[in-house]
This record gives sequence, C-alpha cells and structure tokens, in this order.
Amino acid sequence: MRGELLLCEANTVLKCVQEDGSNRGAYGKLICTNFKIAFLGDESASDDNEPEFKNKIIGENDITLHCVDHIYGVYDEKKKSLSGQLKKYPEKLIIYCKDLRVFHFCLRYTKEEEVKRIVSGIVHHSQTPKLLKRLFLFSYAIAAPTNTETQSQTVMFDAIKDWREELERTKGNMKYKVLSANEAYKVSEKLPLYFVVPMSLSEESILQYQGRGIPIWCWSCHNGASLLKMSAFPKEQEDNTSQMHKIFLDGVYKTINKPPYEVLKTDDLSSSLPSLQDIQAAYTRFKQLFLIDNSTDFWDTDVKWFSLLESTNWLEIVRRCLKKAIEVVEYLEGQNTNVLLIEENASDLCCVISSLVQVMMDSHYRTKFGFQSLIQKEWVMGGHCFLDRCNHLRQSDKEEAPVFLLFLDCVWQLVQQYPPAFEFTETYLTVLSDSLYIPIFSTFFFNSPHQKDTNVSGEGHNAQSSHFRFLTVWDWSVQFEPKAQVLLNNPLYVEKPKLDKSQRKTTRFKHQRQLSLPLTQTKSSPKRGFFREETDHFIKNILGKRISKLINSSDELHNNFTEFYDSWHCKPVDFHGLLLPHIEGPGIKVWAQRYLRWIPEAQLLGGGTVATATKILDVIEEVQSLQKKMDEKHSLTVPQSREALPMLRNSARLSSLFPFALLQRHSLKPVLPTSTWKDLEDEDDLAKRDDEFVDLSEVI
Amino acid sequence: PPLHSTQSSRVPSTAVTSSAALSSHCLRPSIHPRGWRCDPLMGCPSDREAKAGPWRPHLNSFAKAKVLTASSTLKFIPEELVLYCRDFRVLRFRFHDSGLEPQASQVTLAIVQAQERSSGSAGTWYDSASSSAPTLLFESPCDWEKELRRLGAAGWRVSPVNERFDMATSLPKYLWVPSRLLDNELKRAFGHFNARRIPRLCWHHPGGSDLLRTAGFHADSDPEKEDVRSVEALMLAGHTQCVIVETAADLPSPAEIQLSYLKLRALCLPDSSVADEKWLSALEGTHWLDHIRACVRKASEVAALLAERSRSVILQESDDRDLNCLLASLVQTLSDPHARTQAGFQSLLQKEWVVAGHPFLQRLNLLRDNDREESPVFLLFLDCVWQLLQQFPASFEFTETYLVALHDSSYIPFFSTLLFNCQWERDRRKQGGCLAKETGGPYLPTIWDWALRYTTQQRAQFRNPAYTRGSGSVLNGSSAPVGAALSGNGAVYLFAKGALSPQTHLFPWKSGSLSRKGWRRAQSSESLSEQDRSLRSKPSGCPLQPDGLLLPASAGPLIRLWRRCYLRGSQEVQVMPAPGTLAGRVGVGLRL
Repeated sequence: MRGELLLCEANTVLKCVQEDGSNRGAYGKLICTNFKIAFLGDESASDDNEPEFKNKIIGENDITLHCVDHIYGVYDEKKKSLSGQLKKYPEKLIIYCKDLRVFHFCLRYTKEEEVKRIVSGIVHHSQTPKLLKRLFLFSYAIAAPTNTETQSQTVMFDAIKDWREELERTKGNMKYKVLSANEAYKVSEKLPLYFVVPMSLSEESILQYQGRGIPIWCWSCHNGASLLKMSAFPKEQEDNTSQMHKIFLDGVYKTINKPPYEVLKTDDLSSSLPSLQDIQAAYTRFKQLFLIDNSTDFWDTDVKWFSLLESTNWLEIVRRCLKKAIEVVEYLEGQNTNVLLIEENASDLCCVISSLVQVMMDSHYRTKFGFQSLIQKEWVMGGHCFLDRCNHLRQSDKEEAPVFLLFLDCVWQLVQQYPPAFEFTETYLTVLSDSLYIPIFSTFFFNSPHQKDTNVSGEGHNAQSSHFRFLTVWDWSVQFEPKAQVLLNNPLYVEKPKLDKSQRKTTRFKHQRQLSLPLTQTKSSPKRGFFREETDHFIKNILGKRISKLINSSDELHNNFTEFYDSWHCKPVDFHGLLLPHIEGPGIKVWAQRYLRWIPEAQLLGGGTVATATKILDVIEEVQSLQKKMDEKHSLTVPQSREALPMLRNSARLSSLFPFALLQRHSLKPVLPTSTWKDLEDEDDLAKRDDEFVDLSEVI
Repeated sequence: PPLHSTQSSRVPSTAVTSSAALSSHCLRPSIHPRGWRCDPLMGCPSDREAKAGPWRPHLNSFAKAKVLTASSTLKFIPEELVLYCRDFRVLRFRFHDSGLEPQASQVTLAIVQAQERSSGSAGTWYDSASSSAPTLLFESPCDWEKELRRLGAAGWRVSPVNERFDMATSLPKYLWVPSRLLDNELKRAFGHFNARRIPRLCWHHPGGSDLLRTAGFHADSDPEKEDVRSVEALMLAGHTQCVIVETAADLPSPAEIQLSYLKLRALCLPDSSVADEKWLSALEGTHWLDHIRACVRKASEVAALLAERSRSVILQESDDRDLNCLLASLVQTLSDPHARTQAGFQSLLQKEWVVAGHPFLQRLNLLRDNDREESPVFLLFLDCVWQLLQQFPASFEFTETYLVALHDSSYIPFFSTLLFNCQWERDRRKQGGCLAKETGGPYLPTIWDWALRYTTQQRAQFRNPAYTRGSGSVLNGSSAPVGAALSGNGAVYLFAKGALSPQTHLFPWKSGSLSRKGWRRAQSSESLSEQDRSLRSKPSGCPLQPDGLLLPASAGPLIRLWRRCYLRGSQEVQVMPAPGTLAGRVGVGLRL
C-alpha cells in the first residue's frame, strides 16, 4: 500500500490454528509496518480458496495497528500481557484484535534476533502513545494523492447547503435557521462550521459561552416537534458564575419554550444513562466472552453462558439506550413536545440517543445513504471524539469508550427485529464497525471537524500536500469489490412508496389527535425512570424554576411511556413509519455476526441465515428473469437487472459465518466431543486430517 | 354473559362463553374477538379450541388474585377471570359491570368445574372425512415395507411377530428385524429386555450403518440360556462392530425435564416478576436450554457414529419409551433429509413416538390423574427440532409455524395420535374397548389431518419457501459398507458421556464383575486397543453426502429460546412479522 513502510520482520514464524492446543499451523513471515501487522504464509495460498467476500485493504492475516487490542506473550505456558520495554522475549505471541480475531504466533523456530526485533517492534508500534501527525492516515493521504472527487449520495454536512436541505426535508425551516457564525471556528472548536439553532436565538448569546448552553437542532418531527441537543456548563464552584449561567440559560430557554405553542422537555443524559466508564467496563467484560484462546474454554462457558452474558451488563446498557430513545420518541411523537438532550459536551450519549431516535422515527435514515448521512450529521460533524474514544493514539486509556459501537449494536437490535425496514444488512453494520480501525479513512480518525480541518491546512506551507484529501469510509469501493458490496444491501428492503393519500391522511389524523391533547399537561417525573430525582435537582439548579414547573412528579409519565410502547406494539408494523424496538429481557440479543464470526465452534455448515438469503435471492432472480422475459415479449424497455450474487449461488453450501469465516478452517470434527478425540490424535491423524480439508473443500 | 377479553392493551371485544359448551363434557368456550390483533401465528385466535388442555384459572378481584380449584367456592364476585393455558397463552376475561352480575360467579365456577370434570374422560368427539396425507402411520405392514424399501436396508425384514400385541403390549405390531432371524428365534429374545422391548431397527444409513433402539436388559434374564444368541444376533445385526449408546447417560431424566419446563413456563408468563436485566440468568436457571443442548449434542454425536463407518448403533434406555424416542428421531432428523420434509417428519413421529409407545397420556397428563408422571419429553423434542430449524433454515420443508401448531396439538384431546400411551391402547379404543365408556368408540382423527383445524392460508404457512431440497435420493443407493471389517469379531463398545469404551461382552453381567442390573460404564477408557484408536481417529471418508447430514452447533450462544412458542403469552415480545415467517419476507421481496 502506498505510504506504507516496512518496520521490522521475522521469518519462520508459525501461525497456529487456534482450534486446539497443538502447534499446527502454517509457517511464514511476520512483518510489521506503519500500517499493519501482517503474516505472509510461505505457501502462497491456493487461489481457489480465495475468500469471495474479501476486504481489499485488510487481508485475512492483516491486523491494522489500530485494531490491536491486547498483546500477550507466552512464557513457559504462562500468559503475560506485553507492553513497554521487554526484558524477556516470549516463545509465543497472542494478539487480540478489536474486531475480535485472535492470532497465535509461535516464535519458537524463529531466530532470537528476529524475535527481539519483531516483538518489540509490534509492541512499540501498536501500544505506545503516538502523535496525531504520525497516523498512517497522513502518510497515506500524502502518498496516494487524491482520487477524483467522487460525488456520493451521502450528505457530508460540511456545507451550509446540506444543512439547509436537511431543514427543508424535515420541515424544520419554519423555526430554525442555519448559522455560519462558526466559520473559521470563531465560536467554538467543538462545533461544526455550520449548525442550526432556533430562529429567535440572538447572535450574542451564541458567542457568549462558545456555544455552550445553546440548544442545537438535530431533527424535526413531522408534527413540528424538534430534537435538540446542548452542551452543559461545567459545574462551577462560584455562585456568581452559576448565577450568570442560570440567567443566561433562562433567556435561551424562553426562546424555545413558549407554552402553549411549544413545550420543551429536557433530559440530562449524563445522569440518566450509564457513564462512559460503565460502558467501557461492560464492553471489556463482554468482549472477553468472545475472545477465545481454545475450544475447551469455549465449551466450558456453555453452561453458564447466560449468566456470564448478563453479568457483563452490556446488553442492559443497550437496553437502556433503546429505552431512553423510545422515551424521547414518545415525547416528540406522542406529546408533540420538543426534547432537549443535555450532556457535558453533547458529543457522546447525545449522539447515541439523537441518532437512534432519528433511525426509529425517520425512514430516510434507514436507507444506506440516509444512515451514512446521519452518522455524518450527528457523529462526525457532531464532534464525537472518535480519536479519543477508540484510543487510536493510545494516549489515554481513560478516555476510551466504545460509544459508537454501542450505537451500532442498538441499531443492530432494530435491524434484527425489523429486517425489511432497513436498506442495509447486519453485514453492513459489522463491516462498518471494522472500519473504525482502518486508518486510511478520515471519518473515524478525528475528534472534531475542527481538528480535521486544522490538520489538513496545517500542511499548508507545503504547497503540494495542501490539496490532499482524505478518503471517507462511505466510499465502499475502496474496501470491497462490487460483488462483495452487494452483501451490504438488504434484498428484502422495499423502497418507500411515494407519499400517497392514505399516508397524508394519517398525518393529518395525528395532528388532530395531538391538538386535542392539552399541551400544557402538568407532566411529572417518576421517582425512577425517565427523569430521576438527581436530574430534577440538577435542572432546578441549572435551569431555574421555569423548567421544573413542567416536570412535577408522579408516575403518570411512566404510564405514558408504557401505554405508548404497548399501543404501538399492538398495531401492525409500518416499515416506513415509526419503529420501536422490543426491549424486554428476551428482546435484546447478542450481535452474533460480529461477535461470533471467528469462532469455529459457532459455525454451521450449510446453515444460518445465509442459507435462507441464498434461496430468497434465487427466487428474486427467477422472478426478475421472468419479468424480463415478459417485458421483452411486450417489447418494453428492459428494466435494469440487479446485480446477482454469483458467490452466493455457485457455492451450494455456505456456513452460517458467511461472509466472514473461511471454509478451510473447518473440519467435521466439532461434532464429536473434543475431550475424547483430541488426546488420541497423533501425527498420522493430523496428516490425514489435512487431507480431509482438501477433500472437504473440493466437495464444497 | 357479555365479557371483556382484555389483553394488556385492553382491546375491547365481545367474548361469548357458550354455557352449553360449558355444561357439556368438553369445555369449549368460543371467543369472537373484535379488533383483536391477529395472532401472528395462527392467523386469528377466534373460535380456537380453548381447551388447550387443563389450565389454571385465576381470579382477580380488586387486584387480588386467587387460584381456583374445583372444590373452591367463590366468596366474592370476581372481576376478572384469567386462564393460564398450557400452551403458553393467557386469556383474560373481564366481567362487565365490575363483576356485579351474578353470572360472573356462575360462569367462573362452571369453567372451573368443567375443567376438573374434563379430567375424568378425555372428551372425544369428532367426525370428519379421513385424511389423505401421505404420512405413513405405521399401523399396517405395508407402511413398514415401504419405508424399509426407501431406506434400502437389505438385511432387514418386517416381522409381524407382535401383530396381536402378544409379545409386548407397548411395542408396535410390526418390527424391523434382521432377515436371517426367524420369528421363532426372535420370540426367545423378548424375555431378556425390560417390558419385552427388544432391539429393532430405526433407521438404515446409506453407508451401511444401522440405528437400533432397545430397552435395558431385564434383571432376570439369564445369560447362560441358549437364546442369548438370538439377542446377540439382533444387536449386532450382521455388523462386526456394535456401539451401545447409553441414552440416559448425558440426557436429563423425565422428572428433570418436567421441573425445568415448569420453571420455563413460570418465567414466560407475562406477569412473571423477573426484571428485564435478570431475565437471562433466570432463563439459565430453568436449565431448559441445557437440556436441549445435551440432546442436540448427543444426537449429533450419534449421527457422527453412524456416518463414520458401517456398524450397528444401539440406543439403549431402561424402558425405551422416553428419551430413546427423542434421540432416535433427532438423529434421523439430522441424518436423513427425508425426515426434514413434512411428510417424512410426520412419518418419523409416527414411527418413533406414536406406535413406538411413548406414553403420551401420562407424559402430557391430559387426564390430570397423575402429576408425577408428567413430563414434556415430546415438547423438548420439538424444541430441539426448532433449534435445528433455526440453525439450518433452508434444510427443512416445514416452518416454525408448523412446529408451533404441533406443539399446540399436544393439548387437544380430539386426536388419537397423542392421546394414548401405546398403539395397543389406541387400537383397543378404536374397537370400542374399555377405555371408552360408550360402546363403539367414535372415529378419532390423527393430528396430521391439519385441514381439520387450520385454514388453507394457515397451512400455507407450514411450508418453508426457503427450503432447498437436497440432492434428493441420498438414500436408496445402498452403497457398499465402508471400512469393511476390522479384525476381531463382534467388537462391542459403549458410548456414554461423549466417550467410547470397549466392552468385553454384549451383556454386562457376563464378565461377572459388573452389576447385573445397571448398564454402567464398564471400563476406564485407558485400556484402549489399537483397533480402538483407528476407530476414534477420523474415518477415511464420510460416505454420506455432506448435503444429507446436518452438523448442529450446541455452543452456548447458539442454543436459543423458542420465543414464538413460549412467549406467546406476553404480547410485547412478539415481533411482527416474526423473523421466521419467511413467507412474509419473500412476499415483501417479490414486490421489488
């Protein structure tokens, strides 16, 4: 790859097949570059076994430096975490990746010199803190000058026009305006160049606190209610300052809360959702369930699988996020109330909740381009600190938290529950989550648009590189061939029909219903649930009494939520309308494709959903060809034929882990209990087994 | 009386409980809901046989619930009647006018008493045209012949030795036995097995292996007798190697199954008090999924044993009527693509459960006469099949809907199929025997006559549109047995807890040192011969096309809860349309 530099290498490294404890595997060369760690097998992989769903950037044996999670060394059967300066060099290297692959490299047959160099090289380049400028992103962008500007359908929200169009699309332009006050980041470095605020907000209030304490528009509902976010003031010790803040907020608040025309609900996410530390801790425990050294470990966990899963708390966090999003939806949709999400920087859980709400309410965001635009709008432009949260620079472990992954997991729950409602597949989400660690795309490698822009222009004195542009992850052709990209699209998705009469009717009906609701209901917060007591307290303190009047307390609110949730679930689903996920205990599941894909024990030959998908695609294709024939007969124009899935059809038997796992990794063995057969195998059997791999792949 | 059927959302509807139905032997309140959300599974729940088995009525009066039994008298006027059905549904009837109508108590008591009375005699009436399903019922010898031909089992014949149930009452009339064994010799074998249930063929692998099932050895059987040889002939079935699978060794006992099923049912009730965040560990606590895992794992092990080389594999369970049914049919579901078609599956159930004498009456406890014998072994099996269906969605001709319908059928007492303990009882009933009080017993349809209960539209949902028929005639082609003969004659192995251990004799007591009664693990697996090693290492080639054999995964994350079946009571969890209803999805897809 261009811009890639070889840093160190080692020969005769044995890559172990992790299936059992034995040292079986392939010999080859282990290299480390400024981009990745890669294993190059001595025997060039036979071309027939080439996986058909292949990432062009990251091969099967490639690990980008940012994808390395932990490195362990094995010394005399003992596993130790490797970091910093090493005194002793291990005989085996185990690399856990952030995409949950596990690599075992045996260094017993490697020259000592090389072992030293490769191990310290790998540890150094993947684990030590780095400067932003040293990211491979820059080397790549300089070395591979930019491709022509490809106009993608994904809205990037880096131009004022994008925001205007979005306002228009959601009909928010009556009450909100785009500001260009932040051009050249004069207002705040945390905010994007352009953002949307309430129409009546005065210029000076925006400038006063660098964008803190002003509500920023996210999205408008069809009934006119809007979703807003706001970064809170840090808690001040001095009464004076907090008094000033209070007065300021009170003023701002008046601009958006004008009962009975407009009502506002605020929600401080930092107190009503788990903290970033909790999220990180839960995910650390959760991923441990899937990082498996050997099969015996895997079988051992079976019996207590569910309690282990529960104790990680990850699914519970997913549930709480979805629940919070439903609550917000209820306010917007059910009560015609504006919702203001508050968070310290408005760039973590705010992003999760606001984008979830939009996915649930706006079918545009369930298309591929819509979803990508949403991530651009809420996450990239919203200033989510990808760099810190993914810990790409390894500068501070404290800031690390898989917030974006949490969002993807929540979306996966929705995709899983309502597959026909989404234009993209779970494979798309999985691949997107992997792209977090590929340092050639700028999308996930900056903390804010300001950081990106300054770093691009920072090279300004060098005339040549001032023009360099980064690739965005949304250009999927960089990673996948067209035939592989087909797998990202859901064949069962049906595009939204053009607005017809019946739909307009329902909208009108909704308006009527909402008008009949008393807008100034004295709603109130339950002791637990939506607004906790602390929240009340906080809001009273910070925002003054005006708000607290609106949030008196009783359990009525909670009932509202349950009623809304239940009544929605009683009706048949409109895949182009509002979607609410099931959030009960059995409703939240493990994102199996992402988490189980590298585990051979979880593989089902000829099974899994892909088996169904194959059949469905066959049927669709047949229908289309018939359609084509009919059209030809009627001498009509032939409709564009859809890209078929050759890879799905020509392999009769795929495994459930498709498109991720490789068939040759698998043998018939797992059916028989490992305990009996494993210890009895000798070399001859192994040789035989190897032959079987070939046989099997031939059969398949 | 006008009732309000209230689901959690309080959809108003008119529920009519016919008092005529109540006073009759068979309780059959019909419900005609208006605007009731269509049950995604059954289309519409109206007028379904509400006698989904005996239920547990609860009464709510001013938010206080009381469990009712026939002997209880009502001291207050109930507000609401809650029926907890055995098929996981929960029906709530709210009495109008806050229960001030006197009918409220009358109706309630009538229902409760009818429930109790229905326990006396399994209400049975139905007249209908006979079915024309291609399901083999295995009641006549030609069914047995036909199936044997399909399997291509050359060395086997159909023996009518038990035609009059004089050899063993719980066995079917006809048995598959080795051709060279004459009926006279065969008769001598019966005495050696519990309840005289001798080893007999279940399934023949195209690679040459045979799957047999048998009861445990009878405690009083004398190995010194001459007729032991016919027992040996039966078990080896012409093979040089014989693996005896101790069925009960890794699987839960019927009592354990019942216990965990009760826990599961309690958990799946909509008003179960388990918090969402504790749900998974509560699910784990039921051990239901553990039991499923054990069954699936054991079945795939046995399927692998069959595919490995030509041998006879014998499933042995002490009484051969519970887990043997489950294991034998599960192994065939894995190994035989035919068993994954609807007709094939129904034939399989007939062969391994219905005529093989699974005591449905006791296990499902339809008569409510003996709670101790209750154990949903059959429902456990259906769940295992559902797991396979889940893992291999394109390999089955039928759908989840079909399995749920089958699950429902187990509590409907109009059908002969699941109403009796064995074929003998079923036949006697048909001839107006003593089980029926009235003479000339009525015709009882089989449950396979789906048209009796399901509309064409509903039955269309039984068919899996994603089903990809394997390359068809995997069977029939009786290929030559692989791994022709190992040295040593009549090698016997015991398979339990995932390990093979060699046995010196077929009969455990022959060596003298072992207990006569138990069929315990004889030896430690350390003393392994060379021959054994070659057995354990992988075979040189799997004769069955990979198409035919399913290799399910039984790892923790892959054994799932059958939500569509068990969570029917709680509406919220139902996903509409359920991800499994492919028909719907393909329909959507076709609109492209």
